[in-house]
Amino acid sequence: MNRKGVAGFPYYVGIESLAQVATAEDTICVLNILGTESRQVTPVSHAYSGGNVVFGTSAGHKGEVLVTKAGSIPVFDSVREGLDAGHHFNTGVVYLPPSGVRDGVAELIRVNPQLRKIVILTEKVSVHDAREIRAFAQSNGIDIFGGNCLGVADSWNQIRIGGALGGDHPEESLIKGSVAIYSNSGNFTTTIAQYLATRGWGTTTLISSGKDVYIHFAADEFANALANDDRSRAAVMYIEPGGYYEQNLHLTKPVVACVVGRWKSKLTRAVGHAGAMGGAGDNAESKERWFMDAFEVDEIFTPENPVASAKGAVVINIAHIPLALNKVAELNGFAPDFPPTGDLTLKPWLGNNQRLDLPPEIDIPIAKAMAPYDLQIALLREQIGAVVPRQSMRDSSGATRMDPATQITSVHGYSVLDLARLPFEVNLALPLVHETVGEQDRALLHIAVAGETNLVGDPALAAADAARDAGNAPNLVMAAAACMVGPGRVDRALRAADRLIDLFGSSGLHDPYDASFDLGLIPVDDETRALFLASDEEASTRAQAMLAAADAAGGGSVFLSFVQSLGGRVHQDGVLAAIAMTLAWGPLMRKRISRLTAATMPWYLRLYGVMIGATMSGTRHRPGALCDIPDAELFEHTTLAELAFLALTGKKPTAAEVRSLETLVGLLISNGPGAISAQGAKGAVSADGPQTPERVQINKAMVGFLTHTGFSHGGNGFEGMAFLLDRFATVDVGDPTDPNHGLDLRAMATAYAREYKQQKAQAKELGASGPPALPGVHHPVFKGKPVNYDPREQFFATTMEERGEYNIFHDYFRELVQALFDVGASPYVFCINVDGMIAALLLALLWPDYQAGRITEAELETAAFTVFLLGRMMGAAAEIDDHLNRGRNMDTRTPASHCKFVT
Amino acid sequence: MQLTGMLYGAELLKHVGFPTSDVLGPEATEDEIQALIDKCGSVFVKPVFKGGVGKKGKAGLIGRATDLREALAEKQRLYFAEHRHGNVTAKAQGVTFEGAVPAEFEVYFSISDSTVFRAPTITLTHMGGVAIEELDKKYVAHIPFDPLTGLKAFVIANALEDIGAPQEIISPLVQHLPKLWELFHHYGMTVLELNPIRMTPGPSGRLLPIACDFKCSFDRDDPRSTRLGLPASLFSADFSDFETEINQLRTYQGQSDVFIINPKGTILAPTFGGGANSLVTQVLGDDAIISTDFGGNPPYAKMREVARICFSHYLEQANVLFVIGGKANNTDIYETFRAIADALRQHFVEHGPTPVFVVIGRGGPKLVRGMGAFADTMDALGLPYAVFGFDSAISEVVNYAQRVNTWMQEGGREQLAAHMRLELKA
Repeated sequence: MNRKGVAGFPYYVGIESLAQVATAEDTICVLNILGTESRQVTPVSHAYSGGNVVFGTSAGHKGEVLVTKAGSIPVFDSVREGLDAGHHFNTGVVYLPPSGVRDGVAELIRVNPQLRKIVILTEKVSVHDAREIRAFAQSNGIDIFGGNCLGVADSWNQIRIGGALGGDHPEESLIKGSVAIYSNSGNFTTTIAQYLATRGWGTTTLISSGKDVYIHFAADEFANALANDDRSRAAVMYIEPGGYYEQNLHLTKPVVACVVGRWKSKLTRAVGHAGAMGGAGDNAESKERWFMDAFEVDEIFTPENPVASAKGAVVINIAHIPLALNKVAELNGFAPDFPPTGDLTLKPWLGNNQRLDLPPEIDIPIAKAMAPYDLQIALLREQIGAVVPRQSMRDSSGATRMDPATQITSVHGYSVLDLARLPFEVNLALPLVHETVGEQDRALLHIAVAGETNLVGDPALAAADAARDAGNAPNLVMAAAACMVGPGRVDRALRAADRLIDLFGSSGLHDPYDASFDLGLIPVDDETRALFLASDEEASTRAQAMLAAADAAGGGSVFLSFVQSLGGRVHQDGVLAAIAMTLAWGPLMRKRISRLTAATMPWYLRLYGVMIGATMSGTRHRPGALCDIPDAELFEHTTLAELAFLALTGKKPTAAEVRSLETLVGLLISNGPGAISAQGAKGAVSADGPQTPERVQINKAMVGFLTHTGFSHGGNGFEGMAFLLDRFATVDVGDPTDPNHGLDLRAMATAYAREYKQQKAQAKELGASGPPALPGVHHPVFKGKPVNYDPREQFFATTMEERGEYNIFHDYFRELVQALFDVGASPYVFCINVDGMIAALLLALLWPDYQAGRITEAELETAAFTVFLLGRMMGAAAEIDDHLNRGRNMDTRTPASHCKFVT
Repeated sequence: MQLTGMLYGAELLKHVGFPTSDVLGPEATEDEIQALIDKCGSVFVKPVFKGGVGKKGKAGLIGRATDLREALAEKQRLYFAEHRHGNVTAKAQGVTFEGAVPAEFEVYFSISDSTVFRAPTITLTHMGGVAIEELDKKYVAHIPFDPLTGLKAFVIANALEDIGAPQEIISPLVQHLPKLWELFHHYGMTVLELNPIRMTPGPSGRLLPIACDFKCSFDRDDPRSTRLGLPASLFSADFSDFETEINQLRTYQGQSDVFIINPKGTILAPTFGGGANSLVTQVLGDDAIISTDFGGNPPYAKMREVARICFSHYLEQANVLFVIGGKANNTDIYETFRAIADALRQHFVEHGPTPVFVVIGRGGPKLVRGMGAFADTMDALGLPYAVFGFDSAISEVVNYAQRVNTWMQEGGREQLAAHMRLELKA
């Protein structure tokens, strides 16, 4: 060794006082200055420290600079080049990869005789290299901090060398005071400084020692430098297991030692800090004892048991450090550096309890964050609704999911089996609010949709009738009407919805039915009034009827009150927007849905109404009444399911018939994103470009769904009915829901099963492919067992049983699958599939009218198709909204490489 | 990464020409065993364990045989022997047959890095063959030396002199022990221990040191150990499938250190920073599934992959996803939180949702942006969560996570599952 160090150490130590660790006179060279970590950290350190980095090296980057707020730092290929360029430094900072650290240290030492200190940030330096680094430094009289440390800092001098103590805002944590920090953890160096400030303690010098096997500037050196630093009245030491660095420390100033890691003795391998593996003699308990002996205390300090002496205290919880320091300082007769700046109690900055029934110790109210984070969070809160990343949504959906094992689809997490038990209005809301709605919401949604169903005088009705007259299937009749609900027809409603979000978004309103909400908080200008209120020409009795119905249903919301408080007659678009926002507000505030979803909701509601309305011929639409139901009665006393039933059959349904229809509709809502109807809707969104959502025509997307249904997809429910009609053509069924029908279904089934078997045998002899597959039975997934079940059919069978309901056609299918097996027409007992279930339910609904000759077979087919469309309309809405929020422009396109040419 | 026993120890010692006892592996034929007994008079039969397994002799797991029948009986007894030492239970995978070495003296020798001297240090005694801790300190030398010059003969000579070693062993040890520095330093070891080295008379009557047992640890962060060409399976006992998967991502940019604490735990705690790791591991105890340190500013792609692996192994059993760290200095919170949140979202897409309560405690650069990104994801996934800043004591946040875990265990998980419309697996 050729340099004389501090007396009393058996090895070289150059730093005598903590005041010398990071000084304003230190000049720095950073190795690998343009590396990923240094590039982010060095500019902050440089600016905070008044520009102490004189140059950096980065092989191959000579001539470049690292731009910082305190000026650009020149970059050289090597240290020697920097020195040759006239720069001088006394401190090296090493950001090299682990394998390069030893060579970097050698370079610093060999080429710069002025070198005094090195800070090594790199982690995972091998022990082999660390021992050589130690030897280089010792023989050349250099102090080293690290490796695997976060550098050193001085709050008095406002200097930070290497690493990033204090993060990107060092001034937040490095507050001038009287306490020195020595920490095995870089992160906790800053965290402890932050904690100390809450009790009024600032810092002098902060040393992140690192916790590799070799700690070069260790506890002994720190203790000596602490003793010689006039600024430091006390110190905090954060210590982990492993190594004997803290044994027999000579401490002359009060210290709070935080020893953590008792549990680490159970680990057989280091996690994080390579040197934090204690053996029998250097585990956490041993280290606690070393410090307790040094402080002459016999217990660990806790708030409940504040054991401390004037020499110090030992804590095992980092949060207890400030309190322990207070106690130790009190025993020494000195006070904190400044008034407390806060406390360390639990303060959630963000949270969402999802309305779970949480106990109070978990359900802690959101607290205001400390400055400047409070402002940042406030800005964050201004962002209303959920944000979802965009991605290719081809064949993908965030709304629907079919379980390939059970074939059961869920929509926003709700199984269609569950949806089949829910009212029509709840299922209409689900795609738009992503959850099931309550009574009040149901009532309002009903009013909003029912308010759009009477199309008298509306071009949508003319278009629908024209399409119907031209012989189109019901999907195109609906599509013709939907085409008329283009952007121009919803512009005002959408603007109104958007305005409501703007007006109420930062008002603190969470519950849209909050009767105590003060509408005076909402600023209203003339433009807003004009948006929501109708001119004399625009005023409609329907809007007033809708508002009256909302009042009558007890569904009055803040938004409905708001539009009615504007001083005039509310436009129907205003009512629609107010209802949409009432439905959307809770999920929007809870970030369950996006702002885009909320703002486009009126379009879906109007489309729902128009599409349902279009299923009824023009003659049923009259001013003030639909199907002879006056508006007021329609809004207040008729459910949408009743209206739909009326549209299908021309008569009001019984409660059981409503349940059957709702069951069918719920079941049909979705078959996942792979269904052709879903693909049609998604393709339409994709083609408009969801990345510019304002250009996406939601009505066109509905048309996309509708054009992607047809006689094979949606209309095939009729096949099952036709099959049943044939089987029951010659018998008197009577009431198909009456179990006492007196028919021998087993005999009927067996007779047909034999006939079917014969057809198969004949076809086989002729070499033909056989008779067509039987509709309503068998499934490619649920097969092969002695007796097979489609879980969806099982669900409905159970539901019917629970309700005490009976369906003769379903019963017949049960007999048929058994008979087919019994006569040898099937290798095992087929399941009844979901199409069979639908056919049975639908035929039972329409049977009386069909038998009475009130509807024809063609109308039966139309009705079957229409039921499918009503259900799938909701599923399509879910896919459209999902794709609009998540998708990318043209993302459903198939790459040319995946396309095939066939001859 | 530890290695014990002479099966591989003898191979390693040959690299530096250090004499060893004759060793046959589990595949030895009866003829070979007989020949070894004929040559050495007797053989020791020792079970082969992967990893660091000590105190085999005290556990009665070393057999000695003077004929083939005995040797085979011991082989049968020890071939799949189980051994528990400390927290570790090991199962043998075969035996070695090691020729007995007659000796007057047994020597203990090790090299490791001493935190007292902060230098490589030898520990040496001529009274070896026993646990070193049990010896009178005056017979044990702890001598640091300069790694730049290496372990020199004079260091050995002086050490033996200091402890009063018999004259006849000094010269052979001075000749042979320095070779071990080469093995220790150039192949990435952190500990090398030979105990006993039996001093056996050679043909000339001069004593020759023969290594009769071997133990070493390799530095995970030192690629030099790969020069030895040892099969990776030797160290496989050290790592679970989960740890092995995570270890694929082990680079210096961002840590990915993991350790399974309790494979049946219910708090999945990706922890940032070695300090937080110590604290969190200590407070959570057996509630924690894994102990981790993912600090060091991991890039987005690495963090997302690490989170993906954690979730794929443990999210379903977790009641609490606990993302915790102190006030980061340079870890980009936005990048790391975005990565974890994206991995969480992806996990839900691929494996379906699971009822988990998310607790976050963190500080550092781009904090609020990171919290916001994470919160958005949890809102979208319908998960309950609480996010704490660095003005809440980290230990209190850990306690909070434990309270949430308790609530989940006492019916909260069912309530959350019902809220998410999930059926809990039995």
